[in-house]
Order: sequence, then C-alpha cells, then structure tokens
Amino acid sequence: MEAYRQEIIIGAVIIYMVFCVITGLWAMRRTKNSSDFFIAGRGLGPVVVSLALFSSTLSGFGFVGGPGLVYSIGVSSFWMIVISSTGYALGFFLVAKRIRMIADVRNCISLPDVLAARYNSEAVRFLIAVTIVLGVMGYLATQILAMAVVMQAILSGTIMFEDIGLVTCVVISSAVLIFYCVTGGIIASVYTDVVQGAIMMIAGVLILLTAMSVFEGGMQEATSIILADDGETMMPFGAAGIMASLGWFFVFGLGLAGQPHLVTKMMMNRSISDNRIILPMSLLGYVMAALLWVSIGVIMRAAVIDGVIEPLALPDDAASLFLSIFTNPLLAGIVFAGLFAAIMSTSDAFLNIGTAAIIHDIPKAIQGHAIQNELFWARIVTVILALVAASFALYSHFQDATLVAILGAFGWATFAASIFPVLAIGLNWKGATAMGAVAAIVSALLINFIIQLAGITLPYGILGGLIAFIVSLVLFIGVSLVTKKPELDADMQAVLNI
Amino acid sequence: MRSNLIYVIFATVLLMAGILVSICLAETVPNAAGLVHAQFNGMQAGGDGAARLEHIGGLAFAFQALLLLLIICLAALGVAEERRSTEFWAYMGGTLLFSFFVWWQMYSGHQAFLKSGVTSYFMGFPVATAWQVYGTWLGAIPLIILYSVGFRKFIFTDEDEQKYEKLLENIAKKSEQ
Repeated sequence: MEAYRQEIIIGAVIIYMVFCVITGLWAMRRTKNSSDFFIAGRGLGPVVVSLALFSSTLSGFGFVGGPGLVYSIGVSSFWMIVISSTGYALGFFLVAKRIRMIADVRNCISLPDVLAARYNSEAVRFLIAVTIVLGVMGYLATQILAMAVVMQAILSGTIMFEDIGLVTCVVISSAVLIFYCVTGGIIASVYTDVVQGAIMMIAGVLILLTAMSVFEGGMQEATSIILADDGETMMPFGAAGIMASLGWFFVFGLGLAGQPHLVTKMMMNRSISDNRIILPMSLLGYVMAALLWVSIGVIMRAAVIDGVIEPLALPDDAASLFLSIFTNPLLAGIVFAGLFAAIMSTSDAFLNIGTAAIIHDIPKAIQGHAIQNELFWARIVTVILALVAASFALYSHFQDATLVAILGAFGWATFAASIFPVLAIGLNWKGATAMGAVAAIVSALLINFIIQLAGITLPYGILGGLIAFIVSLVLFIGVSLVTKKPELDADMQAVLNI
Repeated sequence: MRSNLIYVIFATVLLMAGILVSICLAETVPNAAGLVHAQFNGMQAGGDGAARLEHIGGLAFAFQALLLLLIICLAALGVAEERRSTEFWAYMGGTLLFSFFVWWQMYSGHQAFLKSGVTSYFMGFPVATAWQVYGTWLGAIPLIILYSVGFRKFIFTDEDEQKYEKLLENIAKKSEQ
C-alpha cells in the first residue's frame, strides 16, 4: 500500500471532488428561487445544520494553520479551540432563536436583511454588507490559495503532474468550488458540508489515535519533551504569552456569534426547537475535528525537538509532513480529503454570503429595493466573486503579498468586532439604536484597518482585534444609551419580547 | 432586571477596557510576547515566564475574571427577562463559580510551576495546562446543558411558541389583505 501512497491520496481527493460536483447538480433541481439559493428555504433538519455549522467554523486554517500554530507557539493557540464551548453557547443563547424569528417574520435571506429589519436602518444594512464583502474577499482569497498550494503539493508528488503549476491548481480547485456553489447555491453548500463535516470528524479522531502512538509514552511523553525544552511553551499561556492567549479567548469566544457565515446558518433550520439539538451536535463535531489541530502540532514540535525528524521549513508544513511520515496512505487520503473539505466548506459559505451582500443587500440599501431576477444574478455574481478572489490570491502570491494580508485583516476578528455587538446584543436589548450600531461597525473597521496598515504592535502581544472588539462594545452600548430609544415596529417588538 | 443587566455588561466592558489601557501603560519586559527559538527555525519560545507576568500578572488575571463574568451576563441577556428566576440565577452563579475555579487552578498551577520548575501530569498535559485544555472547555458545558435541557423552560417555552405562531398568523393575514 505504501508504494501507492500518492495515488491513494489523489484518489481520495478526486472522489471527494466528484461528490461535490454531483451534489451541485442534485441541488440545482431543488433551487427554485433566491430564498432557496441563500438560506435553503429555511427547511433544513438539525443534523444538516449542525454539521454545516461546525464544518464552516473550522476552515483550512484549522487543518493547516492550527497545527502550524501549535508547532510555532505551543499552547497559546489552544485558546482558540478550548473556547469553542463558550463560543457556541453564546451564539445560541444570543442569536439562534431571534435571527430565525426575524428571518421568518420579515422573509430575510441574509444577515444584513435581519439587521436592517431590527434597526429599521438602511445605513446598518449597507455597512454590514460592505463589511461582509471586504471580509469575504480576504477569506476567500486565502482559502483558494491554501487549496491550490495543497493540491500542488499532492499532485507534484506524481510523475505525471510533477511540474504542475500553482495557476493550474487554482483553476482546478476554483472550478469545482464554483460549479457546486453556482448550480446548487446554499443547498449544495450545506449538503457538501454534511459530508465535509463527517470526514473532518473521522479524520480528527484517527489522527489523534495515530499521534498518540508516535511516542511510546503517548501524548504525555510528547508534552514533557516540549516542557523540558521551554517550559512556557507547554504551560497554559504558551510562547505568545498571557495577553495574546486571553485575547484569542475573547475574540474567538465571543466572536463566534459575530461570524456572518455561521450565524446565517442559524436562519436555515426548519424549526426553532431544533436549536436544542443543533447546539450540542455542532460542538461535538467541532471538538472531534479539532483533535487534529492539537495532536499534530504537539507531536511535530516534540518530534523535531527530540530529533525524530528534521526541523520544518515552515510551521504550516506540520500537517502535511505528519501525514506523509506517520500515517498510513489510506488515512493520509482521508485527511487530505478532509483538508479540502475544511477549506471548501468555509469557502462556499463565504461565497454565498458575499454574493447575497452584493446582489441583495447593497442594491437594497442604495435603491431601496432588490434587483430583478435575483437567482440569475446570484449565480453570475458567485462566479465573478470566486474569480476575483482567485485573482487576488494569485496576484498576492506572485506579486504583492500585502494585498490578501490587508483584506485578511477583515477576517474573524473584524467580523467579531463589527458584527457581534450589533447582532448578538442588539437582538436581545430593545434599547440598542441604529446610531450605536453604526458607531460600533465603523469603529471596528477603522481600528482593525489602521492597526493592520500602520503595522502597529501592541505591548505584551495584545491583539489589535481585541482592542477593536472592546471599543466597539463600549461604543455600541454607550451610544445606544445616550441616543433616543427607538420606536420598534410592532412585529420587531413582538419578536424581541419572546 | 433587563435594563440593569445591560448596565452590568457595560460596566464590565468598561473595566476590561481600563485594564487593557493599564497593561498597555505598564512597564514592558523584553520578549513579553515570546522570542525566536534559539535552535529551531519557525518555533517560538516563551522564555522567562515569571518576568513576563511580573508587571501585568494581576491585571491579566482580573481581565480574564471579568471576561468570565461578561460571558455569564451575555448568556443571561439571551434569556427572556421573565424567565430569569432565582433558580436561573443560582444556576448561572454556580456556572460562574466553576469557571472562576478553573481559571484560578490554571493560573495558580502556572505560578507554582514558575516557582518550582516541576509539574505533574493529567491526561497527557502538565496539570496547569490540563486545567486550560479540559477545564476551560468544560466550564461552558453547564451553559450548553441549560440551553438544551432547559430549552422549553428558559429559551423557548410552549407559551413563546404559541405567541410566535400567532405573530406569524397575523402577518400572513395582513399580507393577504
């Protein structure tokens, strides 16, 4: 079997991609209007929503960047994972019920739709839509690039494709992504997410078991090797220190309820009561998949320190090298398919919300009404958005690495800072005003942009995103308290009373 | 109570902002956010843990304690005001105490390691780190249980569902007219 390692891996990835294409074709028949395209007609069952929710949370960053972060900074990066129970809990306590109600009452198909209804403000709709488009561009570009780099690494290991270029890999991976997103919209996206989520869970558990067998003494031997080398790296705050760790706890924990690609999925379930099942199922799936993040990172750092393997050229090589050195080919094939699954499940979610912002929300905010034939334009814009993001990714890779980095600043932390207060608190506090919302969104965008562009480094590893988040929270509540309490429409009043 | 809760949340966030400012103004130490590993490319090391916490340890501890309080208050904000009974607050208070306990065990375990340089292990990790890995994650499980098990009591009661159905009916009638 070892002799066919590369072929097995490629076979697993091809099977997965063919599945995505077939799902796109199947979902096309079920996509009859823009509501189907963007929120699956609010008719998904709890298992589908749970798997879609957690698999969209754990992107390629979790499968590639996560192990790399543990290799690089040790336990500091664990804070992004251990907060998952708090993050999901807050997301459901604060958002899941009311976002679903407002979506029903006002027939909303996007997050800006919901917030425009809540605040009775087109300015809020516009700002949230712009935030989403900017964030989506950065996220999508990095995901597409990651997908292409992994594909190139796999294919170049064969004689037939040893000279394959990155551009070709971007074209192939983007084509599959575009195909199933354009044909099947969110229905294809969530049903591929189900399989993607299942692959990620299996991969996480199998990798943990493999990782524990690398050293005779299991995980404890690995952590004691790291501890002997540098105690702080294996202690609760890791190499990055206490403030970076607590910053991640804050931004990733509270911020989950501000991620547009995740909260949008809370609008898609068939029944509000399903939330009681969706919450624990999503969390369980996330934890199982995240085992890969922790176990690969710890084992690879310990293996390098102990001289078992050579030091890595880049921390992000941790996952792929672990797979090629320590796993059997079949498991490597499953995990590589899981890696594509992780990247694609996040990419398709972003493609969907980005398209909704462009063809639905921005025109509505500017013109006061949606464009004609939304479904047709949704498909066109999905293609354009993916092509632009792929171009950004290639331009960034070959010409100017700062472009995606700047847009990447509008990542998790910016969504968290600009959307969490407005959405999560705003849906639960009748005193929240549109003025407060505008102040929160603008401040979050400005602070994140300024810190990124000016390259400001804060003392003790404090995250710029943490500053933006706290300022945004203060301004949201503070400005709302001092501005005139809004008169809510009767239906909004009723929803906020339930 | 709802109006008071938002003031508690606001005050907590303001205090956290104040602590962040204090940390920014505190005396800095070299390599507070880690240093390049002396031997291995791509790895960072933490270096002198005691020095890194010397000027900000107490502030950071308070920051996290306030964050745990904020999490509980935010979760409570997501429950309708009339359902926040004494039983509810007792449960949330217990959850907060458990989170504080985990945080204290983690922080004090780290301090003990910094003094002695030795640690015992629990399920693969040094004890202080095990509190972080398992304890922090488990700290929010009572919230998950409250949401899932207490869904019909605290989150979306039968009465809520009836009100919601009624609202949808009214909207449907209006749109027909």
